[in-house]
Amino acid sequence: MKRASKVFTFLMFAFLFAPLVILLVFSFNEARSLSVFSGFSLKWYKELFRDTETLKTVRNTLVLAVCAAGVSTVMGTAAAVAIDRMRSKYLRSALDMVTNIPMINPDIITGISMMLMFVFASHLFGLANSLNFVTLLIAHITFCLPYVILQVLPRLRQMDKSLPEAALDLGCTPWGAFWKVELPEIMPAVVTGMIMAFTLSLDDFVISYFTTGTGFQTLPIRIYNMTKKTVTPKMYALATIIFFVILALLLVSNLTDSEDSQRLRAARKAKRAAAGKPPMDPRKQRFLYAGGGCLALAALVAALIFTVTETDNKPQVLNVYNWGEYISDGSEGSMDVVKEFEKWYEEEYGRPVQVNYETFASNEDMYAKLSKNAISYDVIIPSDYMIARMIDEDMLLPLDFDNIPNYEHIAKDFHGLYYDPEDMYSVPYAYGVVGVIYNANVVDEADAGSWDLMWNEKYAGNILQFNNSRDAFGTAMYRAGLDVNTDDRSQWEAALQDLLAQRPLVKSYVMDEIYNMMESGEGAIAAYYAGDYFTMLDAQAENVDLRFYYPERTNFYIDAMCIPSCCQNKELAEIFINYMLSAEPAIANAEYTWYASPNDLVYTDEGYIEEMGEEAMEVLYPDWGDFSEQYNAYAYRNLDPDLLDYINSLWETLKIN
Amino acid sequence: MDKIIELKNITKSYDRQVVLDDISLDIYDNEFITLLGPSGCGKTTTLRLIGGFETPDSGEILFGGQRINDVPPHKRNVNTVFQRYALFPHLNVFENVAFPLRERKTPREEIDQRVEEMLSMVALKGFEHRAVTSLSGGQQQRVAIARALVGRPKVLLLDEPLAALDLKLRKDMQQELKNIQKATGITFIFVTHDQEEALSMSDTVVVMSEGRIQQIGTGQDVYNEPKNAFVADFIGESNIVDGVMLKDKLVSFSGHTFDCVDGGFEPNEPVDVVVRPEDVDIVSVDKGMLRGVVTSVTFMGVHYEVIVDIGGFKWMIQTTDFVDVDERIGLYIEPDAIHIMKKSEYSGLYGDYASFSNEFDELSDAESEEEA
Repeated sequence: MKRASKVFTFLMFAFLFAPLVILLVFSFNEARSLSVFSGFSLKWYKELFRDTETLKTVRNTLVLAVCAAGVSTVMGTAAAVAIDRMRSKYLRSALDMVTNIPMINPDIITGISMMLMFVFASHLFGLANSLNFVTLLIAHITFCLPYVILQVLPRLRQMDKSLPEAALDLGCTPWGAFWKVELPEIMPAVVTGMIMAFTLSLDDFVISYFTTGTGFQTLPIRIYNMTKKTVTPKMYALATIIFFVILALLLVSNLTDSEDSQRLRAARKAKRAAAGKPPMDPRKQRFLYAGGGCLALAALVAALIFTVTETDNKPQVLNVYNWGEYISDGSEGSMDVVKEFEKWYEEEYGRPVQVNYETFASNEDMYAKLSKNAISYDVIIPSDYMIARMIDEDMLLPLDFDNIPNYEHIAKDFHGLYYDPEDMYSVPYAYGVVGVIYNANVVDEADAGSWDLMWNEKYAGNILQFNNSRDAFGTAMYRAGLDVNTDDRSQWEAALQDLLAQRPLVKSYVMDEIYNMMESGEGAIAAYYAGDYFTMLDAQAENVDLRFYYPERTNFYIDAMCIPSCCQNKELAEIFINYMLSAEPAIANAEYTWYASPNDLVYTDEGYIEEMGEEAMEVLYPDWGDFSEQYNAYAYRNLDPDLLDYINSLWETLKIN
Repeated sequence: MDKIIELKNITKSYDRQVVLDDISLDIYDNEFITLLGPSGCGKTTTLRLIGGFETPDSGEILFGGQRINDVPPHKRNVNTVFQRYALFPHLNVFENVAFPLRERKTPREEIDQRVEEMLSMVALKGFEHRAVTSLSGGQQQRVAIARALVGRPKVLLLDEPLAALDLKLRKDMQQELKNIQKATGITFIFVTHDQEEALSMSDTVVVMSEGRIQQIGTGQDVYNEPKNAFVADFIGESNIVDGVMLKDKLVSFSGHTFDCVDGGFEPNEPVDVVVRPEDVDIVSVDKGMLRGVVTSVTFMGVHYEVIVDIGGFKWMIQTTDFVDVDERIGLYIEPDAIHIMKKSEYSGLYGDYASFSNEFDELSDAESEEEA
């Protein structure tokens, strides 16, 4: 029994801390891979400190957490004192319950309701940008408040009520009695409440996601947006650092709270006395505390002013909204495109410009943010089908191509595509094609070449299939020669039969896990984007030999730069788009993302070709024949919502059976 | 002596429950005055009114002739020693005592000197830098007293300050408090439910019950000349029996007529007769003015406590002579041991030891201490 309980305790701690240990270990991994530890390195820490965009979000997060913790501590303490002094028992317990509701309430509801309120209020007052730093701060204060009250109120209730009376009795004003007697008495709870508020604000994602606006992205949101394109190990490094900082905070709070620290302080005083020094005059002590407090406050205000002026005082601001990890950001010796643009613009036009570069995780996320009119961006980079939808809904502005002379470098193949048939609204940024990746150590090369490989019974248990309905149905429909955009439900039904037949062969249905499973050799066959194939190739284990081919028909996607109708400075946005098309940034982006570029300055550049290598060039830029014909025929388009529901219900039957 | 505090027709109620019912009281300079009564009698509320923590519903509080009803506590020249000391845990002994001086921006040299003076008065020299939480109950109490006195108030309010101390320490502190009061010449207003404490320390005792003052007088007055059955019962032990005042200095009770020393009643007026247990002598049956059967005997150390059934009424007698249970004895009472009181609302409620037991007494004591 004793041994069993020991084992149980051990297991419990193992489960609690194993993820953290893994994170810590892999933050020191030399390679990008999560399956192979190829050597100790501080590389990702270096990368982290070079990544100015991420550091900016770290600073944003800290400024927000400090402000939210500070304000909610003051307000929460005041509220607790007020509740404690209420005479009516009923009112007191009612207030108790009301303050607890936001704590029990799911974050997502708090977030949505806050966003609605802010948008509603700003419409009421006719403000343009309803969501900004202030709304985010208000939201954070709101959800931190109950936690502070929850800490302070019990401490107040425990306090001997004659303490403040004694202070009054000895000549303190009521205000003085609070400061000199009550506050020191409840201080440990106030500090604990503040630390709780700080950490809560620090890691909040859901509420921030709904209430943040242009120009202020927090770290959790940035990390979330990266997940679409695999999280880079520098995030492990950041997470490790944050973990240790929080740990330190926790230790400090536990120490100040414990009796030990009081004894420690007493001992320090005794030492002073023994050394013949007089005990510190409490007035001097108070002065020191007050000084320290003022200093901290001043630093906070300075940091705030710094951030505010940075976004508000400069005459020109350009807000860019792009996918996570989709621009060359200066890491690993690459070009920092955003910084370089700012530099170039100032030289060219003699005026400074500041780029707020923010990221989203999916087209739908971006669409949701923009369609609420809650925020404004100047340049966005959505995918093809979303562009079609946004043009339909008048959410994009026609571009003035006089400001974008570099448009001439966009290959002819990318003109007149279905989503923007007259080329009025969009400038292609990158494109990708789905191919089949396989492990040549497992798969016989003779079997490769078509979609049939994914249905080949020889490789049962080695096949990975998409874990999302559109892509999974796509593989079956391309294989059968069906139209992936058809509204004929019998064709979808047919595709379902194929998927059901494939089911016994499938090892698992995956999204991001595909990287690790293919790199480690756990899976041997999978369909994915060409650009991502190189990421896997880079990190493949020793006994794995990944290859890639395009099957007969397949999905294409194009991401293009557009200007949304909420744009505040259209000409500046066009200048930015034009800059992105010029040789240096375009090549840097293509090299960074490993996606194919539609820009002839890129794919004909000798340096780029050399850098990518022959194999990569073949994979990324094969001879398509008539690209636009294939694209228009095979690329996914927007489907009718009813049809999407129908497809999803088919998908459910596949997953449930 | 000058009046320092006057309470005039004070009424106070909480949630429509009357706590103080038309109280009037004069307190004199230099006096050690005790508010004595069971819990819930309004003694602590009276103290809090003087301290400024409560305001009366009606009536006036005068301090040195000035109305102070609306003066906040920090502007009153009165300090309080709280029941649970109310020392500030985040300050050490020195800083606790120095607190009121620092509030008044007293020069530092003077603070040092006065705090030292106070600490030596309460015998806590050398404890300056100790944390107050590390002190014993008695030491904490002395810090609280030093803190309350260092500002040299005109009046010191003490709210059952000794209730949390054990018996021996309590006796020592009683003496010490009395000495401090004499040495400083400050008016002490002391609240307690312990009648012994009240009698031994006070110049004046104010007996309270149910929000009203029952009697004001010296300790000897209230003990020897209780005004009604409540006071007689609450202060010490009493046998209280119904009697009839035949004429001055002649009273009849328990079927016998006694000589006494009181007078001033109507002929044949019904009265309450008080006889203290220690004033009854046990004599042989034939010599006794009253006769009864012993129902219980308890050894108390100095004396025996004997319960005697006289015609259905149980008397308590404290005696050094040993008697046996079931023994038939006679009782003898000197005329000056008989105290006659007018009938009051408390008549008949107290003074019969029929349901008396030591355990019961202790139980009710413990309860009242908790409530307080």
